Amino acid sequence: MNAEKPELKKLFALSSEGRKYSFTLPLKNVIRIGKRDYNIELREDEKYGIHVLWKNRRYPVEIVRTKQNRYEILFNDISHIFTVETPFAMQRKKVLGSGKGRSERLVVKAPMPGKIIDVLVRENSQVLRGEALVILEAMKMQNEIQSIVNGTISRIGVKPGQNVMKDDILAEITVK
Amino acid sequence: MKKIKRILIANRGEIAIRIMRTAKTMGIKCVAVRTAVEPNAMYLSMADIIHDEDEDASEIPVFLDVEKLISIALETKCDAVHPGYGFLAENAYFADRCQVNGIIFIGPSHDAIYKMGNKTVARQIALRHKVPMAMGSPGSIADEEEALVHATRIGYPVIIKAASGGGGRGMRIVRHASEMEKMFTLASREAEKAFNDPSVFIEKYIENPKHIEFQILGDQHGNIIHLGERECSIQRKHQKLLEEAPSPALDTELRQKMGETAVEIARAVSYYSAGTVEFLLDSDKNFYFMEMNTRIQVEHPVTEMITGIDLIEQQILIAMGEKLKIRQEDVRLSGWAIECRINAEDVQAGFAPSPGRIEKISFPDEPGIRVDTGVRAGSSIVASYDSMIAKLIVTGKDRHEAIVNTKKALDKVWIKGTKTTLPFFRMLMRNHLFQEGTFTTAFIEKNLEKYYSHGEYEEMIAAWLATKLFVEENLEDKKTNISFDQGKEITPWLLRKRLTQF
Amino acid sequence: MDINGKYFKSYLEREDAFKKQYNADRIKKQHAKGKLTAHERIALLFDSGTFEEIDAYVTPSDQGVEFGKIEMSYGDGVVTGHGMIDGRLVFAYAQDFTIMGGSLGIVHARKIAKIQEMALKMGAPIIGINDSGGARIQEGIASLNGYGIIFNNIIQSSGIIPQISVIMGPAAGGAVYGPALTDWVFMTSHTSYMFVTGPNVVREVLNEDISSEDLGGAETHARKSGVANMIYDDEENTIIALRKFLSYLPSNNLENPPVAAYDNSTPDVNEKLRDIVPDDPNKAYDVRDIISLIVDRNSFFETSELFAPNIVTGFGRLEGKTIGIVANQPKVLAGVLDIDSSTKGARFIRFCDVFNIPILTLEDVPGFLPGKDQEHSGIIRHGAKLLFAYSEATVPRITIILRKAYGGAYIVMNSRSMGGDFNFAWPSAEIAVMGPDGAVAILYRRELADAKDPVAMKKELVKRYREKVANPFIADEKGYIDEVIDPAMTRRKVLSAFTALSNKSVKVPSRKHGNMPL
Repeated sequence: MNAEKPELKKLFALSSEGRKYSFTLPLKNVIRIGKRDYNIELREDEKYGIHVLWKNRRYPVEIVRTKQNRYEILFNDISHIFTVETPFAMQRKKVLGSGKGRSERLVVKAPMPGKIIDVLVRENSQVLRGEALVILEAMKMQNEIQSIVNGTISRIGVKPGQNVMKDDILAEITVK
Repeated sequence: MKKIKRILIANRGEIAIRIMRTAKTMGIKCVAVRTAVEPNAMYLSMADIIHDEDEDASEIPVFLDVEKLISIALETKCDAVHPGYGFLAENAYFADRCQVNGIIFIGPSHDAIYKMGNKTVARQIALRHKVPMAMGSPGSIADEEEALVHATRIGYPVIIKAASGGGGRGMRIVRHASEMEKMFTLASREAEKAFNDPSVFIEKYIENPKHIEFQILGDQHGNIIHLGERECSIQRKHQKLLEEAPSPALDTELRQKMGETAVEIARAVSYYSAGTVEFLLDSDKNFYFMEMNTRIQVEHPVTEMITGIDLIEQQILIAMGEKLKIRQEDVRLSGWAIECRINAEDVQAGFAPSPGRIEKISFPDEPGIRVDTGVRAGSSIVASYDSMIAKLIVTGKDRHEAIVNTKKALDKVWIKGTKTTLPFFRMLMRNHLFQEGTFTTAFIEKNLEKYYSHGEYEEMIAAWLATKLFVEENLEDKKTNISFDQGKEITPWLLRKRLTQF
Repeated sequence: MDINGKYFKSYLEREDAFKKQYNADRIKKQHAKGKLTAHERIALLFDSGTFEEIDAYVTPSDQGVEFGKIEMSYGDGVVTGHGMIDGRLVFAYAQDFTIMGGSLGIVHARKIAKIQEMALKMGAPIIGINDSGGARIQEGIASLNGYGIIFNNIIQSSGIIPQISVIMGPAAGGAVYGPALTDWVFMTSHTSYMFVTGPNVVREVLNEDISSEDLGGAETHARKSGVANMIYDDEENTIIALRKFLSYLPSNNLENPPVAAYDNSTPDVNEKLRDIVPDDPNKAYDVRDIISLIVDRNSFFETSELFAPNIVTGFGRLEGKTIGIVANQPKVLAGVLDIDSSTKGARFIRFCDVFNIPILTLEDVPGFLPGKDQEHSGIIRHGAKLLFAYSEATVPRITIILRKAYGGAYIVMNSRSMGGDFNFAWPSAEIAVMGPDGAVAILYRRELADAKDPVAMKKELVKRYREKVANPFIADEKGYIDEVIDPAMTRRKVLSAFTALSNKSVKVPSRKHGNMPL
C-alpha cells in the first residue's frame, strides 16, 4: 500500500463573521485583486517589529493567539479571527452541520461560591470560546468565568456585587 | 509678585511632561514623583529632581494624597505645585492647603474651585448673572414630589444630576412623569455612592446638543479673556475622544456672544489662571451654560495651536501674580486643529481598556503635527492610571485640510504592544457626518454601527496571513528542523543510570 | 522473473482485488460521515511515501463464518505498519470502519499485537487510530481474547515507548480500555465517542436520556472525565497536532527527547515578564502568558487543556530541547489544587519522568480547595498522587515561585524539600504557612477582637506579616530557595539551571515499584 500524502490544492480562511477567502497552494506571496496580483511581504525588524509591506505601505501585524487552525491576526490595529480549513474540512462542516440544527443552550454555572465583581457581557452580545463572561471573587481571588462555546448571551443571571452559591446560574448562551 | 523657582509636578504621564517642557524654557526647575507602579516612566526623565515615593499598592496613590504632596513639596523646597488635570486638580482643599503652607498652587483660588465644583452653587451664580441655562430647579431637590413639580414646570424630558457630580455618574434622563420616582431614587443613590453626597438637582434635558467649551484666561488683577472655543462633541459615555478648535458650528457672532458669556461667568467667581466654561448648543444655536472646569484641560493643545499661546506658561505667569499681557482684541484664531486621543483601548470590544507594554511607538515628525505623550517603547500602560498613550494634534489652514492631514498622520502612527483607538479615528476621518461637522454628542451612540472600519482589502490580507501561518506551521516539511539523532546522544554516565534503573 | 509470468499474474490479481476492496463507494460512505478512511488517515500521519503496510492481505478468521455475517475481505478491518514521522520511525495501526464496522476479530487483534511487539522491540513510538464498532460478536471469545492480548501489550510497553491513541469514531465497551491504558488520547470532536456502556444501556438501566455526544463525546472527555487529553475540530487538525506533539517525545525511555533547531529568536532576558503578575495579590492573570515568554517562541504545546484548567501542563522547548511544564493557573479557580488538577499534574509528571523530560514548575497556588465535596471525594488521596509523582521523578526539576506558595500546596509543588533541584522565586513571591489574612486572623484573634479599630490593625498586621514572614527574601536568606530572581531574567536562569542539571543522576533504591496512592 502506497501512502503518498494527498495533494492539498486549496485552503480556505473563514472569518468569524462567516466570510470565506480561498487561497491556492502552494501559497504565493501575492494578493489577487480582480485580475492583478499584488506582492505582499511579511517582515520583522528592530524598528517596526512584525509588519506587512503591501502596495508601498507598511502595516503593523501581530499574531495574537493561535490555537489549532484558529488564528487571531491583528492587522493595522484591528483584529481578525479566522479558521483555516482544508476542502475536506469544509465538506465535513457541511455534513455535520446539516445533521441537526444546532441551537442548543448552554448554562454557565458558578464553579464555587463567591461574589460577582463584574459582568463583562451584555444580553444578546456575541461571545467567543474563551471570552470572559463574569469575574467571580472567591478564595480571595478574582476568577474569570469564561465561555466554553461560541454563541450569543441569551440571559445573564447575576449582577455585580451579588453573592452566588455554587452552581448558581451566571449566564445562558445560545450556542452558534 | 513672587518668582517661582521650583515646581512640584503633582501628576504623571504626558501632562507632567507638558508642564515641565514649558517650565524648562522659563528657567524653572521641576520635581517629579516616582511611584512604585511605574518607576521607569518617561516623565521622570524630564525632571530636574526625582522624589522617590515607595507607596504600598494598597494605599491611595500619592497624586491623590494631599498631605503627602504638601510634605514632598516642602521637603524638596518647591515654591509651587502644578496639579495638571485629574487627581487633585479641582480639589479646593488641596489648593487651600498649599496656600496655608506658603506654596503657590498653579491654578485658580480655592474659592473659585469650590464654587464651580458644586453644581448647584455654580447654577445659582450663573442664574444671578443671567447666564443662559437650561431651565431647572434653583437648588437641590428634596424628593420626587418636588422633582415632579419642577419637571412639570420646565417640561419633559428632564435630567436629574448629582450636585457634586461630573463625568456622567448620577445622571438620569426622565421622559415621563411616571418614571420620575424610580429615576430619582436611582440617581440619588448613585450620587451618594460616587460622590458621598446624595443631593441632586433637575434640569431641562437638551436633546442631541453639541458640546462647546471656551478657554478662559484670567489674572489676579481682574483681567479675563477668552481664547475661543473647542468642539468636544465626539464623546462616548461622557469621555471625550476627539476635540477640535474652532468649532464648525460657530460663526463670529455666536463666538463673540458665547465668549462674552464665558468671561462673565469667570468674572462672577473672580477667576484667575486657565479655566474652561462648558456649554451645550442645541440645533437652533441656543446655548446653555453647563459647568466650569477649573483646571488645564486634556484638550488644551488645540487652543494653543490656533492661538499660538502657551497656556501652561500663562498659568505659571498668572500664578506668580503677573498681569495678562494679551488683550481680548489680540486673540486671533488662525487655522484649524484636531486632537485625537490615542488610548490603549480595544475599540472592537466597546472601548474596553487594553493595558500592556508598548513595544514600538513612533509618530510622524512633520510640521503641523504635534504629539503630546508620556510613553515610549518599553513603557507600560498600567491599569491603575488612565489608558492614554498619546494625543495627536494635527493642524491645517481650514477644517477640510486639518481632516486630510489627520487622516495622513494617523496612517503614520506606529504603535505595537496594545490595541489602540487608532481604528476609531481612521474610521471617523472618513465619516460624512464628521466631515460635515453636524455631529452631536449622540454621534457615537446613534450614528455609528461600528466603532471602526478597515481598508477594503485588509481582511483579505489578514486571511492571507492566517493561511500563511497555517501553511508554515502545519504543511511545510520540518524534517530538517528536528533532530532525533541528537536526542539519542547520551553520556555514558546517564546511560548507566538509565540502564540500572530496572 | 517475467512480469507477465504466472507468479506475477497472481500477484497482480491480488493487488487488483485489494484495490477493488477499497473502492470509491466505500470511501464515499466514510466521507459522508465527515470522516476520512483508515488509509487516508495513515497517509496524513506519515511523511509522504514512507508508510509500509504489513499484513494487508490477511483474511478474517473462520471462526465466525458458520454463524454468518463475516465479510470476506483483505486486512480484517485494520491497517497496520510502520513509517516515518518527521524522519523518525513510528509504528501505527488504524482501524477501518468500512470493513465490518472496524470490529475486532482475532486476526485483526493479532495484527495489532504484532505491530505492538515490533514497536517495543525497536524502541519506537506507536500510534493507534481507533474507529471500531467493538468486539466482533460472531467470533465470540476469540475476539475478547484479542482485546486481552492488546491490553497486555500496552501495559508491557508502558513507560518504555510512547503510546498514543487517536479516537476517530466509536470506541465502546471493553475497547475503551485500550486507549485508556496508553499515554495520551487524542479525539476528534463530533465524530468520536468513548463509553463503557452506551446511551441505550443507560436508558434501559437508569431510565436516563443522554446523547452519545454528551455521554462520551470528545468535549465531555476533554472537559469532564479527563480521558481525552487533546481534542480537535476535525481529523486533519487532529493528525497535524499529533505530528507536532510527537516531535517533543523521545522514541523510548533510554533516549533523550529530540532536539529542534533553535533559531535564537527568543530573548533570554525579557522585560515583559515583569508586567504579567499584577501587584494586587487578589488579581488573576494567565500563567500561559508567562510560559510562552520563557520557552522558545511558539513552542508551548498545552496538554489536557480543558480538563482541570486550574493547572496548566504541557511541553515546551528551551533552545530546542523538550521540557515539561506544570503551572498553577491563577485565572481559573485562583489556581487552587483540587482532585482533578492533582491527578492531571501527577500523570503529566510521571510521563515526563519516564521519558527523560525535565520539568519546570511555575507556582502560584493559594492552597488546596476546601469543602465537603473535595474531602469526601478524597482530595487527600488524590493530592498525595501529585506529591508522589514529584518526589519520585528523577529528571531535572526546577521550580519558580511566581506569587503565592502557601501551606501544603507549597510543599507539593516541587519544593526543595521534595527533591526539587533548583527553586527560584520572583520578588512578588509570598511563601508562608498560609495567606496574610488567615495568618493574622489566627495569631492575633484576641488582639483584633479587642482592638478599637480592627480594620486598621489588621491592615497593619498584614503588612508586617508580608514584611517579616511571607516574603521570598527571608526564604532566600535561610536557604529554602536558591535565589530571588528578576522576572525578566527567568529564561536565562532556567536555561543555565537545566544545563547544569543535564547529567543529573540519582540513585534510586532497588524495588519492584513504589506504591503510589491510586
